[in-house]
Amino acid sequence: MKRSRRASFVLIVGLAALLFVVLVPFYWIFTSSIKIPQEIIARTPTLIPQSFSLQHYDKLMNSSQFPVYLRNSTMVALATMGVTLLLCTPAAYALYRMRLPGRRTLFRIILITYAFPGILLLIPLYSMMSSLRLIDTLYALVIVNVTFAAPFAVWLLQAFFQTIPPEIEESAALDGANRLQILLHIIIPLTAPGLASVAIFAFITSWTEYMFSSVLIISEQYRTVPVGLAGIVGQYQVDWGLLLAGASVTTLPVLVLFALVGRYFISGLTAGAVKS
Amino acid sequence: MFGLSRRTLVGYLYVAPLLVWLALTIAYPLLSTVILSLQDIRIIGTEGSFVGVDQYRTILTSDAFWSSTGRSVIWVLGNGLAQTLAAFIAALLLREAFPGVRIARVWIILSWIVPTVVVVIIWRWMLSASGGIVNYALVSFGVVERPIGFFSTGTSAFASVILINAWRMFPFMTVIMLAGLMRIPEELYESAAVDGANAWQKFRHITLPGLQPVLFVIGLLGTLMSFNTFDVIWLLTGGGPAGSTTTLPVLIYDTAFKQYRLSRAAAMSVVTGILLLVFALTFIRLMSPRTEEQESAL
Repeated sequence: MKRSRRASFVLIVGLAALLFVVLVPFYWIFTSSIKIPQEIIARTPTLIPQSFSLQHYDKLMNSSQFPVYLRNSTMVALATMGVTLLLCTPAAYALYRMRLPGRRTLFRIILITYAFPGILLLIPLYSMMSSLRLIDTLYALVIVNVTFAAPFAVWLLQAFFQTIPPEIEESAALDGANRLQILLHIIIPLTAPGLASVAIFAFITSWTEYMFSSVLIISEQYRTVPVGLAGIVGQYQVDWGLLLAGASVTTLPVLVLFALVGRYFISGLTAGAVKS
Repeated sequence: MFGLSRRTLVGYLYVAPLLVWLALTIAYPLLSTVILSLQDIRIIGTEGSFVGVDQYRTILTSDAFWSSTGRSVIWVLGNGLAQTLAAFIAALLLREAFPGVRIARVWIILSWIVPTVVVVIIWRWMLSASGGIVNYALVSFGVVERPIGFFSTGTSAFASVILINAWRMFPFMTVIMLAGLMRIPEELYESAAVDGANAWQKFRHITLPGLQPVLFVIGLLGTLMSFNTFDVIWLLTGGGPAGSTTTLPVLIYDTAFKQYRLSRAAAMSVVTGILLLVFALTFIRLMSPRTEEQESAL
């Protein structure tokens, strides 16, 4: 469709505004994090950095607790990712490929848990972890994060499982492959992009989680990045350089992972939303 | 075995681990909330005695609970309005074809995937009263005379937190809205144009009905997701100043972990859950799109 001149103008202005709203805040924290402290707090902000210094990053990595937080967050996120995949791959296979009696009800139950507000679980999960003696351990965080990542993961997988033609499975079955072999050797390779999106969704869910981590973890040595950074935000004299460097380092893995599977993630998300 | 084929049994076996997991971490905790709410435990790990519905009586007659409920309603409505509007405009822009559109349709979601604490740092820094760039711009353009403390008065703190949360969430809504827009066949608009329909008529009779299934998802999911927001508010304002940004999630957290009244917070969770359930059922009943389409999805 050919656009009129006026329509093109509106589109360009609109897109520029959208780009500005979405990206400028990120540009601003990143460029500020490489400025020297005097420039960060200068009365006149400099849109293009006039100085370059990695001192905040140096301080963050070498003389703060941040590397400890980073290690904890990474371990919890990787474990969340693994457990989520182990639970959701077979479940999605059975729900979307096996014409299971009652699968609609099962699917609805999983959808409900996805929309379930986590705040309602804060008190009981805390008390459950307390009776299991899991308070102040990273296991508690993995358990909680899997619970919040898994339902959405099943939702995301729908689009990927339903595109596989049934003939492929049927011919494998004729060749004498059993269900597990079909899942492992045919379905998993064919749904790899979907599984990768789910893995990264689980990683990001865990990487971002603040509320449960802030109450389930007590000692500094098990603190995760969001809670650690929030601790610096709450200090009386905020060290902005350090905090902005911390925010940049925290964002980086999310960007890298999303760059790998973002396309699949978005298509899984929209297919689920439009269908269900 | 039990009249089930081996194949079906294997199927259930594949779903079972996930269902058991969700039962243990969602269903069981929900039941235990009710039990906790009938006691008078303050700090977890300590013993409490059975006090019946005392906690409920305290909550239901307390100002704090009802004013937080009111704030949660305003929070959800404000977020819904801001997010839907922003998402609709963004989705209309991204529906067009332009160089780089494929990248834009994926990366629009950026602010939704970064950790909330990063969102908080970004906006604290940009809105800071001493040296924040927003205040600098407002002062240099002569909009205000001196820097504003965005979080220092109740109304402005609440408005700021709503807008910041909308900034974080609208990209998620945009992606879903865009998918809905793309499903509306172009021919409908073309034939409407032939019939001489104006922009408003096209919107009213083609876009809006076409978006209905998606608006249903956004309305239900978006409301529950917005309602659930805790970290943005807590980390930006701590629920203040003077309780003016204390929504129900903030109140529950604060009651359990700052005031050490665990059982009371449990009772609040139960009441909140009932309120949300009533909302969800009413919403589904009133707004549910035609069901044949839903059924055929699976």
